[in-house]
Amino acid sequence: MKLMYDLPEQDERAFLAAVGEGEKRMYCLPYNIEVDRFVSGWMVFTDQYIYKILDGELKEKFKMSELSDFSTENLYGSCAFYAKQNGVSRLLCRFISGRNLPRYSVMVKACEILAEGGSKDPLTNSEPERYCPKCGRPFVLHTKICPFCQDKKETYLKLWRMTRGLRLMMLFPLIAAIFSVIFRFVVPAVQRYAIDNFIVPEFGIERGSVGAFLLVVVAIVILDVFHRGIDVIKQRMAAYSGNKFTMMLRALLFEKIQNLSMASVQQKSAGDLMGRINNDVSTVQSFITGNLPTYFAQAFSFLLALVLLLCLDPLMCLFVFIPLPLTVFIIIRFWATVRQRNIHAWLITTRTNRHLQDILNGIRVVKSFGSEEREIVRFEEHTERQAAQDESNAKLFDTVFPLLGFALRLGNYMIMLYGNLKVFAGSMTIGALNQFNSYATIIYEPLMQITAIPRNISAFLTSLNKVFEILEEEPEVADIELPIDISIEGDISVRDVTFGYDSYNPVLEHINLEVKQGEMVGIVGHSGCGKTTLINLLMRLYDVTEGAIFIDDVNIKDISQNALRSQIGVVLQETHLFAGSVRDNIRYSKPFATNEEVIAAARLANAHDFIINLPEGYNTMVGEKGYSLSGGERQRIAIARALIHNPRILILDEATAALDTETEKLIQDAINKLTKNRTTFAIAHRLSTLRNADKLLVLDRGKVAEYGTHAELLAAKGIYYKLVMAQQRAALQKQG
Amino acid sequence: MAETKVNNPAAENDEDAALFEKRESVMLTPENAVFSRSEGGLISLDLTGPDGEKEHFERVVVLRSFPITDPDEYIAVREPETRKSRRGHEIGLIRHIREFDEATVALLTEELDRRYFTPEIHRILSVKDKLGYYYWDAETSAGKVSFVVNNISSNIRILEDERIFIFDIDGNCFQISDVTKLDRASYRKIEIYL
Repeated sequence: MKLMYDLPEQDERAFLAAVGEGEKRMYCLPYNIEVDRFVSGWMVFTDQYIYKILDGELKEKFKMSELSDFSTENLYGSCAFYAKQNGVSRLLCRFISGRNLPRYSVMVKACEILAEGGSKDPLTNSEPERYCPKCGRPFVLHTKICPFCQDKKETYLKLWRMTRGLRLMMLFPLIAAIFSVIFRFVVPAVQRYAIDNFIVPEFGIERGSVGAFLLVVVAIVILDVFHRGIDVIKQRMAAYSGNKFTMMLRALLFEKIQNLSMASVQQKSAGDLMGRINNDVSTVQSFITGNLPTYFAQAFSFLLALVLLLCLDPLMCLFVFIPLPLTVFIIIRFWATVRQRNIHAWLITTRTNRHLQDILNGIRVVKSFGSEEREIVRFEEHTERQAAQDESNAKLFDTVFPLLGFALRLGNYMIMLYGNLKVFAGSMTIGALNQFNSYATIIYEPLMQITAIPRNISAFLTSLNKVFEILEEEPEVADIELPIDISIEGDISVRDVTFGYDSYNPVLEHINLEVKQGEMVGIVGHSGCGKTTLINLLMRLYDVTEGAIFIDDVNIKDISQNALRSQIGVVLQETHLFAGSVRDNIRYSKPFATNEEVIAAARLANAHDFIINLPEGYNTMVGEKGYSLSGGERQRIAIARALIHNPRILILDEATAALDTETEKLIQDAINKLTKNRTTFAIAHRLSTLRNADKLLVLDRGKVAEYGTHAELLAAKGIYYKLVMAQQRAALQKQG
Repeated sequence: MAETKVNNPAAENDEDAALFEKRESVMLTPENAVFSRSEGGLISLDLTGPDGEKEHFERVVVLRSFPITDPDEYIAVREPETRKSRRGHEIGLIRHIREFDEATVALLTEELDRRYFTPEIHRILSVKDKLGYYYWDAETSAGKVSFVVNNISSNIRILEDERIFIFDIDGNCFQISDVTKLDRASYRKIEIYL
């Protein structure tokens, strides 16, 4: 996120006039509210002062060393930035929360550092910007796409590069569209010939010309068949190339998402990613294979009709265009009304549905308070509103739609008037008039959709950009150029590691840790003290900010991620079993494990006994829709899964937190077996789980508070001692 | 019993302990509470306890209990939040702001209006929608503004007294106290969202 804005010219001048020599400009942020007005003011932070500038004037100036107790406060709708100046509370500025709260949160920390005369390196904020730097409007949710400022040319170019190999296939619908347009134009010409030569002549058809007439009929039929034939081929090709394109795009997206680092995947929700893979890709596809050829054909036929009309009769052509602006105006107004009405109808439906869902979910509460009557009345109010709205919409549309047909035929009326006058005067044949009329209809037809085009294009571009945004993201945690595939022994050394998800807010600070191969380390501490973060760093789901982690004296940044993770086994508190059999789940990390290996792993995890008693043994289906297992059973399958590839390093993150004591004993027993000869890290709330740990690491607010054996830490009577005592007393109380 | 704290091991932590140790909230009346403008332009409070002991608060935060329906009733007076204890303690409640003299009412109202900053929309210049986002331009009591609303079914709220609240994507809140008083062009633009 941006923390250093450029000042507008007059504000810059005001700042330069006020700033002292040798002051370093650190941050510059906007502030938005002054008393009861929205304003566009600036807070400039130097290493010695805070300057408040509004409309080219210095409003206030605060000396950094006099300030303390910085804070942001959420007001209603906006936020405020407070501090104490020589012990007196002051409101420094007010700002719009959505836009600037994350920025001012950094300022709280940054000003503290400056006020205490600390480091003069500006802090940064890695949170993604949510507003378009060009126009200031918000990006589409979860993206960096501004619907107003997206670079169309760039996007089209990228799309073009992407369609390599499919271009011929994708071009075909366009070519077919041209053909079908041409046929549409040929048919009226043939009809003209038929009318002028066979239908109109007063003396009937001469004998000899019946054959010629039949020829014309046959020609019309053949043209029509040919036209439809091309349409069929076009649709089939579109289906082929469209689906091929979709498949390719989805596969690319999925592959990319799998390879993205944990940090960037976690910023996006599963729902958002699913939306991009499914909805956005199909929007793109349907536009390319559906809308695009249609628009193309319409533009082409409009131009062709225009040229032909001009050739046939330039004066009459004028009559076609006189009513055009009126027609376009009516159509645009019509669609605008339809849209507004639809939005309104949708809003009312949503509100009714929400009310309905609310009441049905809370039906027990409604009944237990006996307020059924009141709810019935309230619901009736909702449905009445909805019915009234639907009725008024139906009435309006049924009135306006016929009117629209009238508007579309305005051109034809004009032609009828002028054309027939010409026919009466003998300067035009009936056939020619008919042909002219048909072409005029072709011109008016595409106008119906004229309002949908910009909207469709904009939706298409946004979807396309959302897809590209993922495809182009650089993974943050990347392998080095020539990563090492080591076979891990299990010595781990954490050297002066500092890490934070945001640079100004370190979760872990200066962590040092030496773990010998085969040792079990228990990690203890309050929630939020950085236990799971430490584990995430060991697995290299994130890269450390400072310091380094070594496995067998190799920096983990130099080890290929594949080699690293395939030798680490993980059991988490939330066990996710994939849809599939027990066997599939156990051998997830080693897909070609033999049945013997599967059973051996299950035995180690104390899972074999219950699995064998499942109706279909190891073939029982589990997962979301499968056989329901208890928490302890799922946990033991997860342990078996972690064990099957015989990892050298084992990580247990709250693996037993949610279990009853009985199951915990079983799992404890399993853990004791499996930690042998493996370097193990175990996080546990229940300290009894860690009774076999060789070493205990107590974390407190991101720092190592204590490190040693159980006995050593008890003797030290520090945090660990207090925790043990507290849990023992709690256990006693429970029994008592 | 000394044992009771054990149920809550977190309470041994000093910061967390502050959360559980509450002060008694009292009714604030002109008899026991004197509000004044602090040196920094905010609100200070001098409180006289039931047994006569005096307390001075350099800065207090005032909050409405019913900001929408009854803005002048039950105004909470609290200590400001600090970084250590996330929520400041409540010092007391004002039953009705009118119990205090005019100067105090003005002082409190100014601070409350600052907190519940809800500009009134006078004219709607345009509303455009694009991909589910609604881009508004309007003239308000706080000047001319452009704002963006998403999720209109929940962010345009109609209160029981027909007032309309519009929440934009940045968290701002705008209100229209009487939609029938808007000019015709503005009304037509907002009509479909009601």
